[in-house]
Amino acid sequence: MNDIIVAILRSGTPLIYVTMAGVVAQRAGIWNLGLEGLMIIGACTAIVGIVLTGSFALAMLIAIILCVLASVLLWFVIEKLKANPIIAGLGLTGLGLGGTSLAVQAIFGSQAAVTAPFGVPKLGPAFGPFGVLSIFVLAMPFAVFAMWVLLRRTRFGLRLAASGEHPFAARSVGANPSRMRLAALIIGGVLCAIGGAELAAGSLQIYAQNMTAGRGFMAFAAVIFGAAHPIGSAFAALFFSVVGALGIRAQLLFGDAVPHDLLLALPYIATVFGVWLSGKLRGGRKAATGFAELRDY
Amino acid sequence: MDNPALECRDVTVAYGSVMALSGVGIAFEQGKIHAVVGQNGAGKTTFARVAAGLVRPAAGELRINGQQVKTGKVKDARAAGVELVHQSFALPPSFTVAEAMEFGSDRGAAIFTRSALQKRWAPHLKSLDVNVDPKRRVRDLPVETQQGIEIARALVADARVLILDEPTAVLSPSGIEMLFERVRKLRDRGVTVILILHKIREVLAIADTVSVLRGGRLVDGPVACAEIGAKRLAEMIVGPAVARTLAPGDADAATGRGAPAAHTANHHTPADAGLVLDMRGVSTQSDAEGPALRDLSLTIKAGEIVGIAGVEGNGQRTLVRAIADLVDAMHGTLAVGGVDVTAAPLARRRAAGLRIIPFERNTEGLSLSSSLWENWSARELLQSRLLSAINPARLKKRCDEALQAWSVHYATTGQQAGSLSGGNAQKVILAREVDADAKLIIAAQPTRGLDIGATAFVWQSLREARDRGCGVLLISSDLDELFDISDRVVVMLSGEVAGTFSAPYRIGAVGAAMTGVSQ
Repeated sequence: MNDIIVAILRSGTPLIYVTMAGVVAQRAGIWNLGLEGLMIIGACTAIVGIVLTGSFALAMLIAIILCVLASVLLWFVIEKLKANPIIAGLGLTGLGLGGTSLAVQAIFGSQAAVTAPFGVPKLGPAFGPFGVLSIFVLAMPFAVFAMWVLLRRTRFGLRLAASGEHPFAARSVGANPSRMRLAALIIGGVLCAIGGAELAAGSLQIYAQNMTAGRGFMAFAAVIFGAAHPIGSAFAALFFSVVGALGIRAQLLFGDAVPHDLLLALPYIATVFGVWLSGKLRGGRKAATGFAELRDY
Repeated sequence: MDNPALECRDVTVAYGSVMALSGVGIAFEQGKIHAVVGQNGAGKTTFARVAAGLVRPAAGELRINGQQVKTGKVKDARAAGVELVHQSFALPPSFTVAEAMEFGSDRGAAIFTRSALQKRWAPHLKSLDVNVDPKRRVRDLPVETQQGIEIARALVADARVLILDEPTAVLSPSGIEMLFERVRKLRDRGVTVILILHKIREVLAIADTVSVLRGGRLVDGPVACAEIGAKRLAEMIVGPAVARTLAPGDADAATGRGAPAAHTANHHTPADAGLVLDMRGVSTQSDAEGPALRDLSLTIKAGEIVGIAGVEGNGQRTLVRAIADLVDAMHGTLAVGGVDVTAAPLARRRAAGLRIIPFERNTEGLSLSSSLWENWSARELLQSRLLSAINPARLKKRCDEALQAWSVHYATTGQQAGSLSGGNAQKVILAREVDADAKLIIAAQPTRGLDIGATAFVWQSLREARDRGCGVLLISSDLDELFDISDRVVVMLSGEVAGTFSAPYRIGAVGAAMTGVSQ
């Protein structure tokens, strides 16, 4: 039983951090489809950073800086150049996937996977069978709770939500919706750096090309499934991870009877189902439409 | 006189090549109720937004309580005590009432709990006589309550000047009475209130002074209301050039001068005229865009204008959508021009003589990025066969003739519809929808946002269509408009017919039906 929980937390934690990044952007009125790109930048920088600097803290700092810079770039393209947020987000994903491959090629001279000598610090023997998990796993519930407080129980959160839902209302109480979106994307950049680092350096300590494998989009689906509510979306992400872990378990048990690829596809099937279900449950009414009205009235 | 509560000096605002305000200088005395009036496009809303810091003027300065305030900064204007209540309320619909209060506030704990928030704002709402559970969501509340909340939101800080932008436009007559009572109480508490209005009747009922804007310029003001008559005020609003061209009665209806009255008493629909619209027991489902219709029956004869009155959001949009086949009727039958079209698609309904002037001119009525001839020819294209050939040269020529006949001001039929002013854009829609084959014309808020000249033009066109034997369904939130040109007024409440009235109209009875109070 414990090993299933460890497996779920291992695969769920990166997803939940990235989901939180999607939640905060969604509330501010941006459909962030750049999550996948931000996550791979975080994953790549963490491992390459550890290899090059020999320090986890330094590697994390670089990962956060790069993810924040990429998020600011996304904000600039959407807000200042008035690009379509969906296209801009997909562009950022392309930039992340391509840019990391290019960087690895430039630094190491090959596209092979990069292995780091150590990863994110572990919890240690004091946690018994969970000691193999990283400190980011322990911090994850606190991060989700902090996001809930920030978004749902502070004036900052209310103004952020107003910037997404009714920008003119935000403007008429003196808030600047564009700056609120910048703040949302910067917070999201930090969270994506942590999520990406956890994915690559949480247990495996390996970076491989395109290793996010659509997890950024799955996080985005969790945002929609959870109606951009921090706790609801975190549970949606956790649900996808549970399905994934069960899929791996099922491979061991029924690997002969059921096609292997079908079981691997389970989390993605669950994602599609989840998005369909959330649409049904809410009867077409959305908590945050995500398309901030750029026009005043 | 003390320092004025709010003073503008030589304020000029330009949107592109359009001057919204030019050189407006105006000062409002402390502790009074001031009205600012003018027709649509006169610059009233722009003025309010400049005062609240939402719009930065190209030139001019703003003084609050004698102190100069940086223009174009909401924070600075709010810090100086100026608050603005918007015409279409600026409250995020998913927020609870308490959250809507909190997000406008500047003080208090950084982190809150729901119960603390409710405890904090319940007394504030109560002190302003806004009776609402602070746990409820804004989107679930009726417009009167939303307006009360918006006013309470504006007063969370220490407001000394409260500006209300057309607060009466969305209210029923009794809602307007409630609002005026609220405004008087605020004045007694020492708040200077500036009301942006467009009906003279309302100005004279509530304000101490009045200022008139026309075409972005200050005509006169502030003048004490006691010193100015309704007739003089109407002339100032309309302007001498337009006044000469208006039909008798239309000027009064457009400026809301005196009691609303019927000016169509001399028109009689023949008793034996056929029905162009026959809706029987139509029910629909409610959706995001409005409440359901419940067992609604409505008939319109040929040569009759039927007005639909009601507070916005009581099913008027659903009614239009049901007639236009944008929402399915679950029960009941619908016939247009004597043809049963209950299950027919829009194309067949249009073939039966249905024409629609939709609510949203710029999104539903026209494709702003398409040319005038494309917009105009949409009527024929919608009704012709799918694979019929199009001859642009011929369509352009016919469009040219039609637009000339409707006196649209345009350069070429190839220009984009988005380049026209509101009044001209509406004329393009009229030229398309009011044709010889029209039997039933649905006119949904056809004069919203138009100046008085264009408004009178629309009214005259609808009257002429009626005199040719068309039936007209006019949906409007302006009772003066409805009473001026309708032969009959039907009141809608929660998707049902709440009453039918004919001239001479009594505003009290119609207002009571709008709010569901039985008289």
